[in-house]
Amino acid sequence: MPMIKLQSSDGEVFQVDFEIAKASVTIKTMVEDLGLEEEDEEIVPLPNVNAGILKKVIQWATYHKDDPPPPEDDEGREKRTDDISSWDADFLKVDQGTLFELILAANYLDIKGLLDVTCKTVANMIKGKTPEEIRKTFNIKNDFTAAEEDQVRKENEWCEEK
Amino acid sequence: MPFISKDWRSPGEVWVKTEEGWEKKKILECCNFLLGQQDDLLTRYSVSDHCDEQKPENVEKWNEDENTEEKENKNSINHYKHPRTKYNSESQYDGVIQPHCHITIKCTKEIAGFNGLSEALKRLDFRSAVHDGRRFHYICKLLDLLVSHRLNALSGCAQRVLFNIIEEVARQVSQSQQNKHMLDRLLGQLRQVVEFACWGRPLGSTILWEQHLNTINRIHEIADRIEIRPPSDNKEPQFEQLPEECVREVLLRLADHQDLERSAHAWGVMARLVDELRIWRELCQFHFSPRQIQSVIDNSPNTSEDWQLIYHKLRKCYGLREEYAEMIQLCRNCRCLFWHSIGHPCIADTDPNFMEKLEDVDKSSLYVPIPPQAFLKFFSL
Repeated sequence: MPMIKLQSSDGEVFQVDFEIAKASVTIKTMVEDLGLEEEDEEIVPLPNVNAGILKKVIQWATYHKDDPPPPEDDEGREKRTDDISSWDADFLKVDQGTLFELILAANYLDIKGLLDVTCKTVANMIKGKTPEEIRKTFNIKNDFTAAEEDQVRKENEWCEEK
Repeated sequence: MPFISKDWRSPGEVWVKTEEGWEKKKILECCNFLLGQQDDLLTRYSVSDHCDEQKPENVEKWNEDENTEEKENKNSINHYKHPRTKYNSESQYDGVIQPHCHITIKCTKEIAGFNGLSEALKRLDFRSAVHDGRRFHYICKLLDLLVSHRLNALSGCAQRVLFNIIEEVARQVSQSQQNKHMLDRLLGQLRQVVEFACWGRPLGSTILWEQHLNTINRIHEIADRIEIRPPSDNKEPQFEQLPEECVREVLLRLADHQDLERSAHAWGVMARLVDELRIWRELCQFHFSPRQIQSVIDNSPNTSEDWQLIYHKLRKCYGLREEYAEMIQLCRNCRCLFWHSIGHPCIADTDPNFMEKLEDVDKSSLYVPIPPQAFLKFFSL
């Protein structure tokens, strides 16, 4: 099995099966652009991902290495937020900081499956909550003035009435 | 004259006493009752048999053949405490009978077409299934239908099972801090049923309804204690620090316009993103068919680019799509309801003649998904 070396932002190097690393379109493209061969000792730098998160990303990609690609015609797939597998649900039982770092890593590395499941996890944290509860859940400061809040409310009401 | 030879008639059901009353042993076997995992959150059962000689036996005995029936009548399972456990995957059912429920689909002279709802809910182990995210919405919809339309038509036993499942939903919501709106909806409907009852109180046994009201009060206590907690650590990055493209990805996964609108009220960045056409266009494409979308666009040409307006018109015209990650399925071979991800002990897997017949048949066509409304039609309510 051809292996590839990935270097995290804090300098730690991970040796990964190339087939697993190809889950990331970013890594796949980098390898193709650099023209790396199987026996090359070249290291692929990932300056936006730290070691802890890269380790988790590799763990996720290893578990999902044999997953079939999602059907192209299934437009509504991403809106079904209750279809997270039990393994993924357990894997994502992490603090919010780690969850958001995984979203950033999945976005940067272009791993569609991981981005999908992490964003669904956050979407589930929003579902059914009031604006105040959403703010509390994510520690968001209310950046609306009273007038702006009123404006947003009126816009939504107008749209629903029509 | 006394009957002295061996009684060849069916030995009948063996009943076991649990904290919730007498229970058929077969039903307990179908639940995850025999799994020895610890879970303090969930109800523990104290099992004591109904026989005179109280001699402890190994729980494995429950899975033995029927020819041990006589021995079972002499001995009993005394004061075993087993937790109801949560499980999400097939592997956790290893060595335990998979939750399934055989049903009668047609009435004949020989077979009365009666299926008991309480038995089905236990055999399919709904109470533990609540803890699996893929099954949660399906179960909530089913509870919603039962509480809002059928509660007074249910037997006392079915009502008790129903309230226990709702209590489990409350525990799950409390633990996960998600889907509180679903619990609130169920509790609102329960309140209506209890308050606007016949002759000042719900129909049925006074003692039974006292127990029900105690359970309802417990559920309310759990619900009242649910408080949205801010993140315990201030570890970065925080949600506000995510780039807009990531926040957009999250919003694209919300299938309810109300969630989008509430998100817009929560934070300016989300308000700006919710105004994007793409969000509403994809929401339209999820809930409605291209033909439906086109019909609304054709009828009001001035709204052809305002996807938010198109969405609301479509919603009022056609209603929203209901989808469940996992549904109960009906096996056509053995007339059996089961959870798709867990499977069931099918006649087709044990009978070689049956397997021969099914060689050319597509296995997936033998399993029919049963939406919540259809599920209830199997039962005499």
